[in-house]
Amino acid sequence: MENEERLYLRYAYNDLVKNKGINAALVVTLVLSAFLMATGSMVLERLAGSISRLSEQGKPPDLLQMHKGEYDPAALTRFAADHESEIDAWLVEEMLGYDSASLSWSRPGTGETGDLAASRIDNLFVTQNTEFDFLVDRTGAVVEPAAGEVYVPVLYQKQYGLTTGDVLTIRTASGPHQLEVRGEVKDAQMGASLSPSSRFLIHPEDFEALGRAGGATPEIIVEYRLAAGGDANAMQTAYEGAGGLPTNGQVVTGPQLRIISMIGDGLVAFALVFVSLVLIAIALLNLRFVIRGTLEDEVHEIGAMKAIGIPDREISRLYLTKYSILAVVGCVVGGLLAIIAANLLTQGIQTNYAQAPVGVWTFLVPLIALAAVYLIVVGICRGVLRGVRRIEVVNALVHGSTLDEKQAARRARQRARWVRRTGLASSSGAGVNRRLALLDLRAEGRAWVLLPVVFGLTAVLITLPANMVSTFEDPRFVTYMGVPERDLRADVQFQEDVDGVKDRLVAAMADDDRLTDVRSYAYVDYTADSEDGPARLRVEVGNRPDDEGIRFSQGGLPRDGQIALSVLNADKYGVGVGDELTIHDGDKPITVQVSGIYQDITSGGQTAKMSGEVTEGAAAYTVFADLAGDLADGGADPGGIADEYDEQFPTAGVKPTQEYVRETMAVLTDSMRGAAWVALVFGLGVVVLITSLFLKLRLARDRSTMGVLSAIGFAAQELVGQVRTKTLLAVAAGTAAGVVFAATAGQSLASAALTAVQLGITDLTFIPNPWLVYVLYPLLLLGAGYFGVAVLTSGVRRADKSEWIRR
Amino acid sequence: MNQAAVTLESHELSKTYFSTEPPTEVLRGIDLSVRAGEFLVVMGTSGSGKSTLLYSISGMDRPTSGSVTLEGRELTSLGDTEMSKVRLTRMGFVFQQPHFLSNLNVRDNILLPALKAAPRHGREAAISRVDALMERFGIAPVRSHGITQVSGGQLQRASICRALAGEPSVLFADEPTGALNSSKTAEVMDAFTEVHRGGTTIVMVTHDPGVAVRGERVIYLRDGAVVAAREIGRWEPDTAHRREDVLLAWLRDLGF
Repeated sequence: MENEERLYLRYAYNDLVKNKGINAALVVTLVLSAFLMATGSMVLERLAGSISRLSEQGKPPDLLQMHKGEYDPAALTRFAADHESEIDAWLVEEMLGYDSASLSWSRPGTGETGDLAASRIDNLFVTQNTEFDFLVDRTGAVVEPAAGEVYVPVLYQKQYGLTTGDVLTIRTASGPHQLEVRGEVKDAQMGASLSPSSRFLIHPEDFEALGRAGGATPEIIVEYRLAAGGDANAMQTAYEGAGGLPTNGQVVTGPQLRIISMIGDGLVAFALVFVSLVLIAIALLNLRFVIRGTLEDEVHEIGAMKAIGIPDREISRLYLTKYSILAVVGCVVGGLLAIIAANLLTQGIQTNYAQAPVGVWTFLVPLIALAAVYLIVVGICRGVLRGVRRIEVVNALVHGSTLDEKQAARRARQRARWVRRTGLASSSGAGVNRRLALLDLRAEGRAWVLLPVVFGLTAVLITLPANMVSTFEDPRFVTYMGVPERDLRADVQFQEDVDGVKDRLVAAMADDDRLTDVRSYAYVDYTADSEDGPARLRVEVGNRPDDEGIRFSQGGLPRDGQIALSVLNADKYGVGVGDELTIHDGDKPITVQVSGIYQDITSGGQTAKMSGEVTEGAAAYTVFADLAGDLADGGADPGGIADEYDEQFPTAGVKPTQEYVRETMAVLTDSMRGAAWVALVFGLGVVVLITSLFLKLRLARDRSTMGVLSAIGFAAQELVGQVRTKTLLAVAAGTAAGVVFAATAGQSLASAALTAVQLGITDLTFIPNPWLVYVLYPLLLLGAGYFGVAVLTSGVRRADKSEWIRR
Repeated sequence: MNQAAVTLESHELSKTYFSTEPPTEVLRGIDLSVRAGEFLVVMGTSGSGKSTLLYSISGMDRPTSGSVTLEGRELTSLGDTEMSKVRLTRMGFVFQQPHFLSNLNVRDNILLPALKAAPRHGREAAISRVDALMERFGIAPVRSHGITQVSGGQLQRASICRALAGEPSVLFADEPTGALNSSKTAEVMDAFTEVHRGGTTIVMVTHDPGVAVRGERVIYLRDGAVVAAREIGRWEPDTAHRREDVLLAWLRDLGF
């Protein structure tokens, strides 16, 4: 090692030892930033790897159409023949759907039993496919169960602890059918946390037996694997436009499957990256503050070094070595901690999907993330240390100032103007303390700005996810799902006698005194021209009251001859409010005008509404009802009534609207809640750290002022009070600004993020929990600030005051 | 020592700094009496404990042991808030560096202790008193200036004004001319002499014999103990040189 290098390292070492507290606080901030950045990037890499790996093993379809009811197999064969060049393979998978309440389990060894009634997802029993869309075991092998055996979805295995040897009992119309659990299967198509259904794998003999036994809802999935370079969206458009093909159910493309998986399981990782970006911003502000402070404190030494001819670049390197060491320590420790955290966080992902292969990107992604943190930190340090060049020898040695002549003169003029304008004479007694604190805060605003900025950023950091959670959880969020705020909701769909079930349900509800305003909406399939050609447009048709309560981002309810479109559909068909859209009912073209655009996250965000009355022949129906006046006024729970109807009409899916919202949003809300907790814990930790570090430096700088005030007759308690007043004012200002930013611009940020993931929401209005974000969080931040100032000022009372003046 | 009442007294005063390894004993059992209206000068070599003595008897620092009494009131047993009140109402300080608050103009810096001590209804009286002090010490023309806009001598005279603003019974000064050139030193020491003539007790630390001659009594510290004391009588301008010679000879004998 060169002598010069040794000198730099020795200087850095001495400084690190001398200023342990400040350097430790800096390192902790850097470690946290690097840790979160590396963890977030590692989790995302592992998640993407796991999804891809499972995709390789399970070979999911590029396009799938679910369907309930009759269909024409010949039409499917014709469609496949017509698109032979685009389709690599296709299949029709038959499935038997069971309500969760029909499934129970027992453990012969221990006598334990239970059921899956609490599960809200569809349970589909299938046999193994032969060409693609395989259900695979933990090792990625395609599983072939023997007769009498069943492989359960990983989700159930995790949720209910089902293990090999357990007995799964299916309640059929002809009695119970028992199967022995042989293990769990991973499902590339329905494995995502956001997936509304899951598949159980059984032997063809059992499948036939269950089919004969009755009690199941038969369903099919038409699946296509496209030839290399195939466009799933174009194929979907072609499929929907072909006519005569089964379309009574969800349609999903491969890219949508991957997005659903990434959103459901990657949200926490995205949140970690977001938190780390804010932390890096805080760490950089902090570094800038510390470096500037150091240059001011050591201006005499810098002046002396310049005077003996050491070049500016060398002086900068002396300091830069220390910050480079801190950044390296931060990145190395943060990276090592990230390995542990990422392993913990990806355990669930690896169980749901597949063991991601360890490749070069596994190492490169976190290394690139850490290198970015290091380079940004060192780059900023280098920028701030350019200030060394501006320091003039005479000013440094004689006046102890980092300013050059011009800057010093300008600063003096500003200060002179300031002191002429301000006055102390209006204060007396204890009021002098308050006045001094305010004057100092105003005059030294540039020095104090770190605290409000850090608290503002942290307020945004902890408020944004909390606002999103409360919005997702709020009863009013239902308006983002394209549905009115009604008490009960029933979905009569995907079954044989849709019209009959709907009619009986509506009649029963209309006769029920406890319910009022029963309305049914029919789902009618049209086709319309999109950019990619004709596509199916499912429209909800119904007799709409004026106060239906759907939130329109533009325009309003559709009247006769009008249609309202969801944001994604308006985008898909390239129309806005007032535009005309031609839809086809079979071969009959109908021209409708777009009356409004609303946000909707259901059905892949692609929905539409028209006014009118369709009482039969629709693909599906939704029925809404409110509790009657006295029940609603008494705060009655619609859950009990929903359960009654659910028992009477098991295929109608009657539930309180709020439960429907909760179920639909559960995964997103849970992930976001996790992110909100991470942000809160890290945010509070960081503000305590930064407040302490800031005050440590600030108190050191204000020592002589405190000394003279003490000599004049200010008690230590008053000096501490002044520091607390200044700190709490700075903290409160930052927190208030952060909360306001989160509520305004933060809302736009969240909307932009949701728009980017194509959920169907483009303009989110937060529904905050006011007690949480406007009372508790600000109090927590103020408390954190107060804690920091209390710790740092605790030594003031005990100090020998003359030390402050004599140093 | 003449028979005037003792205003400030220390008994067996010791101060040890435990932050060093080994602990440093800076003051070793100092007994000291300062008469009301006396101008006492504390001298000694560097590190002899002069400033530590000043800050210990003024209550800025807590002595390790021993007692300090001001106007009959024991100070070492007082809490920080009580001690601060004593400093506010009975003591004034002048330091080597002026140590002004840069966010206040010269007048507000001087007003600070007066306003702090004044009840709401006494504010006007405090302001009048400070304005009169500024006139008296020639600071009035720079009253609204920032502290970087006035000379070192003016600042130190402003320091004296600030120290007197609360009408203290004792004025403590720690090397008040240490950062000034000779002409500014004379200017500032004239101000001290004037204050002393007004009846204020002064305890001043200095290493400059030319400044020390302004005092009435000089004590000499070595290794934290008072090793000698000398009465030199009241200062008059025409006897300045003779007093300085006498003092220098005495100091030389002490190894200064």
